[in-house]
Amino acid sequence: MTGWISDFMNHPATYLKSGWFQISVTNLVVIVLMLIIFALAVLIPFPKDHKESKK
Amino acid sequence: MSVNKELKHEFDAAPWKGKTKRYDFIKEGVIALVFVMVLTIGLSVLMGSPDEKPLTFKGWAVSNSDNFYVTAVQELAGTSGTATYGAPYNKASDGLNIGPLWLQKWVGVTRPIDSVNDFVINPLSTQVLSSDIASALATWNAAADAQKQAWATAYDDAITKVEGKLSSVPAGAYGPVPALAKGLTDMAKAGALDAALLSQGGFFQTDNTKQILFFGDGAYLDDAGTAANLQGGTWGMMNETGRYPGQAWLWLYSFWYQIPPFNNEESKPIGANADAYIMALMGVLSLGLILIPVIPGVKSLPYKIPIHRGIWRQYYEAQGIKRRKK
Repeated sequence: MTGWISDFMNHPATYLKSGWFQISVTNLVVIVLMLIIFALAVLIPFPKDHKESKK
Repeated sequence: MSVNKELKHEFDAAPWKGKTKRYDFIKEGVIALVFVMVLTIGLSVLMGSPDEKPLTFKGWAVSNSDNFYVTAVQELAGTSGTATYGAPYNKASDGLNIGPLWLQKWVGVTRPIDSVNDFVINPLSTQVLSSDIASALATWNAAADAQKQAWATAYDDAITKVEGKLSSVPAGAYGPVPALAKGLTDMAKAGALDAALLSQGGFFQTDNTKQILFFGDGAYLDDAGTAANLQGGTWGMMNETGRYPGQAWLWLYSFWYQIPPFNNEESKPIGANADAYIMALMGVLSLGLILIPVIPGVKSLPYKIPIHRGIWRQYYEAQGIKRRKK
């Protein structure tokens, strides 16, 4: 598929650099998304299911 | 078994008397699988895949013919990266080691590559050549091995002395080497070397070892790697061409290549054998990950960092279970 998104993706990436540390913006976005999903998995409560719970 | 251990065993083996809840693992697995599948197919359709222009010998010889020519001479002289690599391609060096463990050497030559014949002479032999190149090839084939080596080494040294500036190379006893290097450069410019190196006799050509090694000996592949931020010293293992996300999970493997002594090839023994040392280090760390449940201190981390209590907080609240005090 040669849509505008794949055209955009096939251009040289932007990199953030500080000393010996370097990361592409895309990798940073993916890592931040993973951290957000992890935080949500911890913070969002389980759906309550009173009917099926029993002592 | 001591009394304490017997009591603990009895406690662990007793049926669960706390709160229970019905839970369908298969349902959750199927939901996760379908969700990831839809996400993967959707993103693939939207974003496509990395679509870099292929690197070819034609592209190399046309864009930087002097570098290609010099690399061809190095292949003939046996001074290229491939020719001096050692196992698994040849016995030119002992390769990487970790102290007394000569890993590369022990594997042996499992994929023999003769840079002179595989990269230069055999490809040239498949072509209809001009009379001067054909004559140079005949001269080379008829010469003794020592003579071939003397010609190629003399020319390679002369090029090195003038730092690759071919027009400044003085006349010398180089035999047919300059003509052979020119013949291979012309062959590459015409696009014939790509096909000659790929040809393995089978219907499907899947083995690109020779091309990649030959590319690696010159500046073409290295420059392309630098341009795409794929070099080891710049977290290249984590990156992908274009704006696509790379292999972020390889960050720890890539991390070691950024810091001393691993990032200094001159530093012996670790920097000079960084690949082997980092592989061993990651092996030890991976073993540590597998053995977390039995490593004292590490196995008690959930008591100190109780993330699980956050996830299951409703259960702990409902049951009134407080944090264990140390």
